[in-house]
Amino acid sequence: MTRREAALACIAVLAAAVVGPPARAADKLVKIGINLSLTGADAEGAARIRNGFMMAIDGANEGNGIPGYKIEPLILDDGTATAGQYDPAQAATNARKMVSDRDVVGALGPEMSGSGKAMAPILSQGSLAIITPTSTNPDISDPKFAQQYRPAGKPIYFRTVTTDAYQGPHMANFYADVLKVKSVYILDDSGAYGVGMADAFEKQAGKKGIKILGRDRLDPKAADYTAILTKIKSMNPDAIYYGGVSQAGVKLAKQAYDIVPKMIKGGGDGVVSPQMLTAVGNPANEGWYGTRASPHVSGDQKAQQFVDAYFRKYNIAADDYTITAYDAGLVLIDAIKRVAATGKPMTREAVRDALQTSKVPTIQGVVSFDENGDLKDRTVSVFQIQQDKSARPDDVSRQYHYIGVAPQS
Amino acid sequence: MTTFDLLLQQTINGLSLGAMYSLLALGFTLVYGILELINFSHFNVFMIGSFVALFVLEAFGLSGQEVILTGLPLAGVLLAAFLITMVFCGGLGVLVERITLRPLRNVKGPAAMITSIGVSYILFNVILLTVGADSKNFPNPMPAIRWQIEGATLDFRVVLIWAIALLLMAALYMFVQRSRIGKAMRATAQDAEAARMMGVEVDKVIVMAFFLGSALAGAGGLIFGLYYNFTSFIIGFTAGLRAFTAAVLGGIGNVPGAMVGGVLIGLIEAMGGQFIATAWTDVIIFSILVLVLVFKPAGLFGRIAPNKS
Repeated sequence: MTRREAALACIAVLAAAVVGPPARAADKLVKIGINLSLTGADAEGAARIRNGFMMAIDGANEGNGIPGYKIEPLILDDGTATAGQYDPAQAATNARKMVSDRDVVGALGPEMSGSGKAMAPILSQGSLAIITPTSTNPDISDPKFAQQYRPAGKPIYFRTVTTDAYQGPHMANFYADVLKVKSVYILDDSGAYGVGMADAFEKQAGKKGIKILGRDRLDPKAADYTAILTKIKSMNPDAIYYGGVSQAGVKLAKQAYDIVPKMIKGGGDGVVSPQMLTAVGNPANEGWYGTRASPHVSGDQKAQQFVDAYFRKYNIAADDYTITAYDAGLVLIDAIKRVAATGKPMTREAVRDALQTSKVPTIQGVVSFDENGDLKDRTVSVFQIQQDKSARPDDVSRQYHYIGVAPQS
Repeated sequence: MTTFDLLLQQTINGLSLGAMYSLLALGFTLVYGILELINFSHFNVFMIGSFVALFVLEAFGLSGQEVILTGLPLAGVLLAAFLITMVFCGGLGVLVERITLRPLRNVKGPAAMITSIGVSYILFNVILLTVGADSKNFPNPMPAIRWQIEGATLDFRVVLIWAIALLLMAALYMFVQRSRIGKAMRATAQDAEAARMMGVEVDKVIVMAFFLGSALAGAGGLIFGLYYNFTSFIIGFTAGLRAFTAAVLGGIGNVPGAMVGGVLIGLIEAMGGQFIATAWTDVIIFSILVLVLVFKPAGLFGRIAPNKS
């Protein structure tokens, strides 16, 4: 570097310091770990969720929401190219990264239950609490599996959605009570989430007197499901229920339209995604049912304000899981704030304990957790794809028509 | 549906799958027959073929399933799509050979095979990073004509796909059997050294094998897209591994063997899904691979490999 260049560099640095954001040197830094599947088949949903988190974090930083503290996100990606979607091994690595960074006092994510299962034991050992806005597999917070998922004892896996222990069964109630389904064939996509959903659905469907004609598993990397669909056609059930995410769901929907076009078809929140709209295309996806493990809130005013602000900032439409993501951010920030207010040291343990006693007003309502970290509100909403030609074809909030709340057991 | 209808329908499903596996298996077999190299980059040449085809069809103004063509326009668009896709993929195969495999030609051991795995991952990631990870809706310009045969349904597009696959395979077979360079390929497969002494340009033969194999993979990629109406960066591995099993089943290096092996694997996949469970498909197919390798390493129709004695 010549002397002239060095001088220029000095000026540049000084200028940046003057023009840049006002440095609040007194603020202490805390980090929030974020783990999402930002690469792969679920990347679009992950980006929406990340934006939801960031709305909450930016809001706290800009509004000086936690006096004396500044929050910095540590964003990690558990999607890998080889898996083509979330990769539990990468999720475990990311959990270790969060735990080993002493500034990380709380975490948000993951998007996928398969990631959650890999992360939970590591986070438990590190006393780091995480709030998921989307992952719904019930085992992770079930005390029956405490040895496996929270070996250190206390619950660390909190959620701003309910679990598949309600999502699957409530959909089975909807099949039986509303759609009057008498017989069903059940499929899953071999993932932790998909298998859990299908299991929970199957159990409740049996109780409701729906005849289970069969159960099979799809390989999400394989392309051809015509063999199993032909088998289903020959059995002629009233409906198909699919537990799984979009990688297999897209192909299933396309091929099901060719082979069993009139059969009732539905799944969980895994089939409520832009991929089901754009990659499947209309008319193949028309009529598919899906659920969300959260109340449908896009109707009320507070939600509308958030949705508008979100669109202004990111230029994409928010959906219900963007809202649960924003809510998760609010709940975690509230816990950090309460710890800060006590004046005690900002530790992970303190944040975890604060989370347990949360009672935070959010967009979806007041969020509080049961003794396992599960959301106390157990609403499951049902949606159906009904093409709306006036809206963008990938707009989840417009192409999925809200049907109602699934009947609770 | 009666059991007969079911068997018929699953046979139709299996044959469509088989047509694709056969086209893909031919690429493995052609290269193996001459170089004794298992070329794993073939998986993702196939995948790239489906994307090239997607772009070509979109360039013709086809997107999604809305535009339906019949008669001459359909034939014209398909012909152009097949030609462009096959030439592009053939060129890609030749490029892969020239840049990464030729320098390793005289290196003993698995270096070339491992390189081909590396190339496969490079192609895979290039598509992932440029096109993105989400599944793409693949245009289907073919009219929805369907025939009922007993209780089974046969789609027009399925028949068309079979016809195209058969035509390509027949053309390849004739080329290898009759043409001058086809004869040179067979001579090289039998004994590269002797062929070279007789004036066969072995380098040219190898380039030809890569070109033909990769072009067929490209055709397979286009057929994949037309049949399933979707493509994604991930489709190469499962299809590629199953096609490889088909090539081994038929006797690797053996051209008619690869065709029959592909159809057999397709039928096994369909029937396995019907009578056992789709979840067990990979277990069944790869058990066949193991059993063939243990009990009949030369495959059903005899393996053809360079004579290295």
